[in-house]
Amino acid sequence: MKNKFSKAQVESIMESLGGIQHAAAPNFFYTRLKAKMEPAEEKRTFFMLRPAFITAALAVLLVANVVSLLQTKQRPNSEPTAVSGKPATIESFATAYDMNTGSVYE
Amino acid sequence: MTEQELLFGLRHGEESAFKELVTQFQDKVFNTALGLLQHHNEAEDIAQEVFIQVFRSIQQFKGDSLLSTWIYRITVTKSLDLLRSKKRKKRFGFLSNLFGDNNMPVYEPEDFNHPGVLQEKKEDAAILFKMIDQLPENQRTAFILNKVEELSYREIAAILHTTEPAVDSLLQRAKQNLRKKLNDLPP
Repeated sequence: MKNKFSKAQVESIMESLGGIQHAAAPNFFYTRLKAKMEPAEEKRTFFMLRPAFITAALAVLLVANVVSLLQTKQRPNSEPTAVSGKPATIESFATAYDMNTGSVYE
Repeated sequence: MTEQELLFGLRHGEESAFKELVTQFQDKVFNTALGLLQHHNEAEDIAQEVFIQVFRSIQQFKGDSLLSTWIYRITVTKSLDLLRSKKRKKRFGFLSNLFGDNNMPVYEPEDFNHPGVLQEKKEDAAILFKMIDQLPENQRTAFILNKVEELSYREIAAILHTTEPAVDSLLQRAKQNLRKKLNDLPP
């Protein structure tokens, strides 16, 4: 069967990389590289402005609020005590603040 | 600047050291990536990623090998990763087309012309690069590092974590395969 290339052509193709020069990096390679690196650095600096961080912070605040609200509701109602330490009653309150003022006509 | 001074500067985050590193290695990294990928823009992207990787992981470089060996290794790894990813996309391209996902067109690359090839050899070199594209990864890497980047067997062995006789064997097999592929091409 006939081939596309003769033996001489095959050898010529095999030797075609002889004397090859190094390809140089494109112009402004360093500038472009720095530009590519900067967004990554900015992202790290301003992570607090990222939506994920803001959402997480709001969620934490919300949970803290709910927990404190529940704890307040669950706490047993402590009876207000009079100054003397006895359970407060209307009478003791009245005594303490001397609300049982007699009539001025008495 | 010696390699030790360069490493010291890089480890302390000095921009001047990083700039020196890029100046020293940008052509080597780009040329290697270009040889492996056969695509100018992809080679530039990979070269940029290599330097970003070097910048981020310089603290992990223990100095067991030369800095150049380490950088070549990163270049080869990143280039081969991209080639694998492209092959995967190409393989599943048929299925994607069946399901109507035509966002990424799958096309055959055009003939690659390396800018460093002599004018009178450009046509032959384009054919050779097409054949190199069909070689197994390790043969392809050894061939490009030797013929395009002109590294010695010792340097290639260090980059590929192998021995010099193994590199010689890879290169012999690469040449045999290339000759066979060229001889088997129909008229």
